[in-house]
Amino acid sequence: MKRRLGAVAFAAALALSACSNDPYPDADDSRAIFYTVFDDPPKTLDPQVAYSVIDHSVIGNVYDTLLQYHYLKRPYTLMPGLLEEIPRAEPQPDGRVAYTLRLRRDLRFHEDPCFERSSPGSRTRDVTAADVAFAFARIGDPAVDSPVLETLVKISGMREFGENLTKRRKEDASFAALRIDRQYAEIGGIAGVRVASPRELVLVLDEPYPQIRFWLAMPFTSPVPWEAVAWYDGHEGRELFAEHPVGTGPFRLTRYEKRSRIVMEREPSWYGARDPGAPGTVYPTDGEPSDVADGYLDPARVGKPLPFLERIEFRREKEDIPAFTKFLQGYYDLSGIPQESFDRMVHEGALSPEMSAQGMRLAKAVGADIYYIGFNMDDPTVGAPAGERGRKLRQAMSLVADTVEFERLFTNGRGIPAQSPLPPGIFGYDPDYRNPYRKVDPTRAAQLLAEAGYPGGIDPSTGQALRLSFDTPATDTRSLLTFQFWVGEWRRLGLDVQIAATSYNQFQDKVRRGAFQIFQYGWVADYPDPENFLFLLWSGMARTKNGGPNTANYQDPRYDALFEQMKARDDDPERLRLIGEMRAILERDCPWIPLFHREGFALYQAWVAPPKPVGMAFAVDKYRQVDPTLRTELRAAWNQPIRWPAYALAIATVAVVLPGIATWRRERA
Amino acid sequence: MLAYLARRLAWGVVTVIGVLLFLFVLFFTLATPDDIARKAVGEKAPQAVLDQWKLNHGYDKPRFWNPESPGDTMLAEHFRRMLTFDFGNSDADDTPIGARLRSGAGPSLAFTLPLFVAGLALGISLSLFVAFFRDTYIDRMGTVLAVLAMSVSMLLYIIGVQFLLGKLLRWFPISGFDYSPDVMIRFLAMPVIVGLLAGIGGDLRFFRTVFVEESGRDYVRTARAKGCGEGRIMGRHVLRNSLIPILTNVVMAIPFLFTGSLLLESFFGIPGLGSITVDAVNANDFATLRVVVYIDSLLFIAGQIATDFSYTLADPRVRFG
Repeated sequence: MKRRLGAVAFAAALALSACSNDPYPDADDSRAIFYTVFDDPPKTLDPQVAYSVIDHSVIGNVYDTLLQYHYLKRPYTLMPGLLEEIPRAEPQPDGRVAYTLRLRRDLRFHEDPCFERSSPGSRTRDVTAADVAFAFARIGDPAVDSPVLETLVKISGMREFGENLTKRRKEDASFAALRIDRQYAEIGGIAGVRVASPRELVLVLDEPYPQIRFWLAMPFTSPVPWEAVAWYDGHEGRELFAEHPVGTGPFRLTRYEKRSRIVMEREPSWYGARDPGAPGTVYPTDGEPSDVADGYLDPARVGKPLPFLERIEFRREKEDIPAFTKFLQGYYDLSGIPQESFDRMVHEGALSPEMSAQGMRLAKAVGADIYYIGFNMDDPTVGAPAGERGRKLRQAMSLVADTVEFERLFTNGRGIPAQSPLPPGIFGYDPDYRNPYRKVDPTRAAQLLAEAGYPGGIDPSTGQALRLSFDTPATDTRSLLTFQFWVGEWRRLGLDVQIAATSYNQFQDKVRRGAFQIFQYGWVADYPDPENFLFLLWSGMARTKNGGPNTANYQDPRYDALFEQMKARDDDPERLRLIGEMRAILERDCPWIPLFHREGFALYQAWVAPPKPVGMAFAVDKYRQVDPTLRTELRAAWNQPIRWPAYALAIATVAVVLPGIATWRRERA
Repeated sequence: MLAYLARRLAWGVVTVIGVLLFLFVLFFTLATPDDIARKAVGEKAPQAVLDQWKLNHGYDKPRFWNPESPGDTMLAEHFRRMLTFDFGNSDADDTPIGARLRSGAGPSLAFTLPLFVAGLALGISLSLFVAFFRDTYIDRMGTVLAVLAMSVSMLLYIIGVQFLLGKLLRWFPISGFDYSPDVMIRFLAMPVIVGLLAGIGGDLRFFRTVFVEESGRDYVRTARAKGCGEGRIMGRHVLRNSLIPILTNVVMAIPFLFTGSLLLESFFGIPGLGSITVDAVNANDFATLRVVVYIDSLLFIAGQIATDFSYTLADPRVRFG
């Protein structure tokens, strides 16, 4: 009996000694693998449809874009991708504008069985201008549900293309049954998208729209082979195209278990591997002046062929705590900082000594975004109808809204206090500009309020404190606290601001109908151009009139005129001057109280080469580098078991069980 | 027997129809088709894009009543899809819902099944043991520990077990999942342990009560008088006769092994049905959510009927009628 017990204990000890907390038991530790996390599964990997950050973090590696951003330069700078050069606007006699898109030579799609359909026996083919035209046609196809269709209707014939397609499909079942590329060809394609030669595409826009360049740097316009769209239709056991990307990028998708694990491997057929020296195929040799000191221009990386990584492993972590624990064990290379661990990790904006000693480093990235409190400019009290009174009321409210205190209380001090809609990294952002209504000055605020006709916050028509409503889309305690902070600031002026908290959906509805006074909102840029921020106050985008993102319904003829001039210009001194003038109008009119630009803190491990913080969602994985040898060493050092709690638990168990054994013996006897 | 079954099934159908109707009304008072579309296409999408999405996904139809063609409403479509088991595609990512749910059942079963079997075995053997030594130190200590175990929340077990076994002793990975069985075991050990800890207290209390009550009956005294050993009395007579109340508890749980656990799957990164359900809630994915609730209600009814049947097997005295 005793011997048997001993054998069981020995076997158990042996089994446990073989146990380890390594979540990648099969991985080859000598390879350059990058381990990172995702929380929500990607919605789609269809480049013409995908719009969320996680979607793009896969698509950005598998598909190349026509243009791309320079990894190091700020303000964000475009450079060629699949195109040989950044296309220039060619004004046409009829007022339209053409762009010639010239593809690089020798571009090939990743190998895939779908190509057997076009050329039997072959598993790949060259990328041609027709594949780019096909991508534009997919954006214009209403059945594809591309979110950028409305933006790109500026392309001549885009709208008509979609209408014709829908009409023909409805009327003619045999047309609807045609292969997708044939359908597009049958109705003549998009008038403003013309294939001039196998490597040349001419794009014609109905009006000048220099921002089109930025859309060429997003996966929406990445070339897509029709074979993949036609073949991967979800029938007869085939996957869906939205789950089976066929691109040209530096990595290919090798595992797509989108609820647990996504794996990408380096693609040997990538054009960068065959054509080193093309932009974005080697690590940049130049950047900002501070990049040398920050380690982004380390000679070990500069000029070396990309990508450095052999493999990218995304693992799903829905909860912060397990994800962060695994990061601390060395099983993830990069991590955000959960709220509850923030004070342990960061002291006064720098990494804690304990973490620094482990070789971890802190990266701060300022988002290309703006968070603000807006006034409904159609409102008779706070808006334009109130004229000078309304303006002074808004200015007064802005003068007591203390962003720094807000950040101290709610964001662990993260975020750049905003002075205007433009965040750092965007042309027109001026680090020295100070908005006179964005400092905290309660005395001046009280004075302005009195001038507005509300001395001490009292509304003379009622004899009571002026009552305003702050419409918020959240009902959870934490968000309500953040809104209450602003209400508290305004109460110091004597104003009675009431929070009207509704569900997000009801809030959206109120905004649509213009039935609100004050709201808080955020905007994250699609592309790094001042136009993408300043159009948020352009009357052409007013929410109640046109359903656009000008939620404050701000309208000012002079601002509009300046906006029209500014948006069509290249980044030159005149453009800067126009932006300054627009900023001055906003400063005085105060339709928004600009609050802050978000600042993300991320930790990365000692074995990860310093990644340049990027405030926008573009693909940077090809620039990442890891040192697997150092990782293996540190992981082993960090993961020595701490056994005393097990012994303590065992002793406690024995203490509980022993009297039981005594009882057992007595009872049996 | 047949009449009973028919009655039971009829009530089941009524329940399911009620559930489907309730689900439809509840969901559309919380989220309009615009909200579903906005969540699917993205916050920034203009109204025209939302309208196109609604058109493509059938959310442009009238909700309850269409004067032009009464059958062409969202409600009718909802019932048609559910009752014919033609679930269609997810609102969140346009992939077939049926295939997705099937892919989630495996990972869920991979940890709920061992958890169920081990939990039952552990619960019954421990409570038999405790009941055997009733009114001694073993029984009292068992009660104290069971009440303690019942009082602690699942979340604390998760964090505690992850901390002890994953962070200090480093026996198991904190979270994750893998489809190859030898790797899967490493990932599933902790959720199973947490499930056992969270469930054992209640089981122990309940089963013990049943066993103690049963062991006070006349036939037990008779068996003892005949000279039957205590072990044999507990193992043979008491255990068998206690099966009815235990079965009620257990059979009901079997269908829900497929649906996994919302909390355990989230914290341990298991891509099962619980995880899929949470994703659907987060994504305003009505199309998936209604299928999950619908299947849950079907499983519930199946579980009830199975419980009734299991009575007749366990106790020849129970008859339908």
